[in-house]
Amino acid sequence: MMTMTDSTTDTELLRQMRCGTAAAFQALYRRHQGPLFRFATLRCGSPDTAADVVQEVFMGLLTDSFKFDPLRGALPNFLFGVARKLILKHEHPRQREESLARYDDEEGEDDAPDSGSDAAEPLRRLLSDELAEQVRRAITLLPPHYRDAVILFEMHELSYLEIAEICQVDIGTVRSRLSRGRAALARRLAAHRPETLGAP
Amino acid sequence: MNTDNYRDPATGPAFDALRGAMAGLDAPRGVEKELMAAFAARHPQQRWYHALSPAQWGVAGGVGSTMAVAVLAFVLTVHAPVQDTRVAIPAAADRGDFIALDTLERIEQEPNPRMVETDVPRTALASLGLPVNPENAGDSVRAELLIGSDGAPLALRLISIP
Repeated sequence: MMTMTDSTTDTELLRQMRCGTAAAFQALYRRHQGPLFRFATLRCGSPDTAADVVQEVFMGLLTDSFKFDPLRGALPNFLFGVARKLILKHEHPRQREESLARYDDEEGEDDAPDSGSDAAEPLRRLLSDELAEQVRRAITLLPPHYRDAVILFEMHELSYLEIAEICQVDIGTVRSRLSRGRAALARRLAAHRPETLGAP
Repeated sequence: MNTDNYRDPATGPAFDALRGAMAGLDAPRGVEKELMAAFAARHPQQRWYHALSPAQWGVAGGVGSTMAVAVLAFVLTVHAPVQDTRVAIPAAADRGDFIALDTLERIEQEPNPRMVETDVPRTALASLGLPVNPENAGDSVRAELLIGSDGAPLALRLISIP
């Protein structure tokens, strides 16, 4: 049997996992859970929801319910895409409740829906760095489609093409979302703590 | 990997701070535990003989059969009785009785009988009860003949029957 090393490819680990090798599944999980969890945490603002999403992503990989095809892209991008879809599914009922509440209250917030605000407290405790916490809060206030592009580009250093593949949009859309997301983020950060950003 | 090197100076330090703060953030250990339990439930531990493919079973069966035949052949070779290929020559005492070819009085009254060993055609002995068939009809049988002084055969004793 082949040993699990850092150099073992995702495809080989997947093959062994499908043959029933638990160590291969564990190696895949340990290799990808961190970036996925961080993406999901920032994206939905709640570590608990992010943990659920990560678990669902790997359960899907285990049961092959998401039908990963190595010929169509790399596994990490596929996992990000699945996580994003699951987050959207988690957000959908909550966004509906929020929009109804906003409609009832007739409040004219100019910010986009803060989908993670009610669950952000545990994450706030995790991030002791004040600046990091400000960025996290500013990201939470971005509209979800800007948030995807900003997190994947700035935090995970993915290319426009990879982000387009994950979000299933064209590169031009990624570029514009990233640009607008950054601009909104910069405005919010400048408004909160201009001295911490080193901006001119 | 990000190939667009453009970094926004307005947000760059902020993202550096956030990246650093979240660098060690992993999913809770319980997630891995639950996933491994789900994996174990989906792939129950197989017995060793379940892990072999039909092709492997075929190879194992072939090798096993060959080994069994080889062992059996070896055992039979070692314990087989050694066949005595020598032709048994019956001792005189073991030879059969004489068959009278004349009357008992004539044989008893013969003053100078002689014993002669000769080959007798099998067909000539058919009247005495020796089995004859097309395969052995041309054979001869070694026999002792008791001959009277006048050369007439008095009695016959078979020595070997092929």
